[in-house]
Amino acid sequence: MQALKIQNVEKSFGAVKVLKGINLEIEPGQFLILVGPSGCGKSTLLNMIAGLEDVTNGDIHIGDRNVTALDPKDRDIAMVFQSYALYPNMTVRQNISFGLDIAKMPKDEQKVVVDRVSKMLQIVPLLDRKPSALSGGQRQRVAMGRALARDPAIYLFDEPLSNLDAKLRVEMRGEIKELHQRMGTTIVYVTHDQIEAMTLADVIAVMKNGEVQQFGTPQEIYDNPSNQFIAGFMGSPAMNFVPCDLSDGANGYELLLESAGKSMPFPINQDIEGLKQYVGKKVILGIRPEQITQDSEDKSDNLVMACDVEMIEPTGPDTMVTIRLNGAKIVCRVHPTTMCSTDQALPLQFDMTKAVFFDPDTQMRIR
Amino acid sequence: MSISRGLIYCLLAIAAVFYLLPLVVMVITSLKDLDEIRNGTILSLPQSLNFDAWGKAWSGACTGASCEGLKGYFWNSVSIVAPAVIVSTILGALNGYVLTKWKFRGSNLFFGMLLIGTMIPFQVILLPMARTLGFLGLSGSSSGLIMVHIIYGLAFTTLFFRNYYITVPNELVNAARIDGAGFWMIFWRIILPISTPILVVSVIWQFTQIWNDFLFGVVYSAGDNQPITVALNNLVNTSTGVKEYNVDMAAAIIAALPTLLVYIIAGKYFVRGLTAGAVKG
Repeated sequence: MQALKIQNVEKSFGAVKVLKGINLEIEPGQFLILVGPSGCGKSTLLNMIAGLEDVTNGDIHIGDRNVTALDPKDRDIAMVFQSYALYPNMTVRQNISFGLDIAKMPKDEQKVVVDRVSKMLQIVPLLDRKPSALSGGQRQRVAMGRALARDPAIYLFDEPLSNLDAKLRVEMRGEIKELHQRMGTTIVYVTHDQIEAMTLADVIAVMKNGEVQQFGTPQEIYDNPSNQFIAGFMGSPAMNFVPCDLSDGANGYELLLESAGKSMPFPINQDIEGLKQYVGKKVILGIRPEQITQDSEDKSDNLVMACDVEMIEPTGPDTMVTIRLNGAKIVCRVHPTTMCSTDQALPLQFDMTKAVFFDPDTQMRIR
Repeated sequence: MSISRGLIYCLLAIAAVFYLLPLVVMVITSLKDLDEIRNGTILSLPQSLNFDAWGKAWSGACTGASCEGLKGYFWNSVSIVAPAVIVSTILGALNGYVLTKWKFRGSNLFFGMLLIGTMIPFQVILLPMARTLGFLGLSGSSSGLIMVHIIYGLAFTTLFFRNYYITVPNELVNAARIDGAGFWMIFWRIILPISTPILVVSVIWQFTQIWNDFLFGVVYSAGDNQPITVALNNLVNTSTGVKEYNVDMAAAIIAALPTLLVYIIAGKYFVRGLTAGAVKG
């Protein structure tokens, strides 16, 4: 049995189709993240799972029930909102127990639940405060507490961390992950932050223009993006895209790369069936920054090319070096001890085993 | 303190005196007896605190044929104003809640048409409303007058509440819906408790409008059902005997006292509530 099954779900606002046939399924206990740029329809999809927006076409199942036509209150869900949406007239305790109160749970049982949840989230000292007397992080905790108190089949999170400052965001991210591991709850989580998606998810659905572009585990999506959009969206700094000519060389296919006025053929150390029909044409080479590093002896089989450095951005653990390949700006991740300066050639090692290729017109992956 | 600041305070003081002067004249005149009024100037102070005129205005002055003072009419006004204010405020709150949080097809058009209601002058609806009240069998009764005030006030109260609730985030309602609350539960337990500033605005506005109303009162009520404003008019215009300025003044102050009290008690919320929601929406 699936915890959540979304079948051919469509949504139109008048003539505008914002969701074009979404299909998703997750198992109980899985952490699903809907990620995509703003306007991709991810929040709309979440609201439809919650029952806050009508479904134009298609079905949504939670557990073994078809909930498509049900009210939010009958769907057995809890939701954490971006703005937290705490009831300003109630104390933290009342906020957490509001749903229980409406479900007519006896007062003493309510107290047990509030105690359990507030201990778990470490908000016991805040229970008698009003939301206006809480900081952003505390409000976030209370909003989560309100959801946890309900003990629903599915938790829905709508960009819950986007109003927090950077440090707190990382902290709360860790806590959400820990909570999920400890309680084994099923979670659907919307974010536009690909790092949140990578760190939290069991499965990610990357969305764009009302369609799911790819649905898979974080590592799958990172290593095997199905098109250029996903490749560029997931990962930071983003994957580099180099337009280049493909030719049939002595040791398989070769790319022609040019930097600092010097050209060099690059053999592709991969067996990719689809590349055959691109021989003599342009392809887009996709290569992640960590696959272009400083020259080192222990990986002597990798390709080395001296490139002119245009910009250096130290981040601490790594240094990002910008070079130019075939006219495109390329970011490389090198060790901080690597000596380099701008306007100087730096020998860089290319690991082509994880490189991916895209069609320059359709931007689809060549496999 | 600069000279310009001093000038501003000076102007404000003059303006305050200018606006307070009529009230001062009313109060001191109401405390004089008729001899003092005839022999002194308008601003000369009373010889002693003499509340006879107040007593007469309250329970003995003649309003037309009867001579029982304003007492009865004061309570008439209270019994008209209280239900009219309460009902129009509650309905306005509900309207505002629906128009912002439970939008339906055409709700914006509905709101637009309601807005036109705020621009209709009293005089325009006098005749049609009289016919309607006659049709409903409510002519000359205070329930008819109450109904007119509720309907007329609804456009204003709806506007107030709608503009206030538009600033309340929808996520609050969504959260409550997911928590299992329905339409009424959300209204009573979430929306209404955060509406104090706008409730005060609506109550003050409606109270002032309805208490001070003369036109609807004189047209739609008759005899013993008339509100205090109509009675005050009758009292001042009664032409038998000597013109008792002190009684007129006392009666006018009595008629104005409730609105004055409402402003003094809730005035600070009034400004706060009117400006809340002025930024967004």
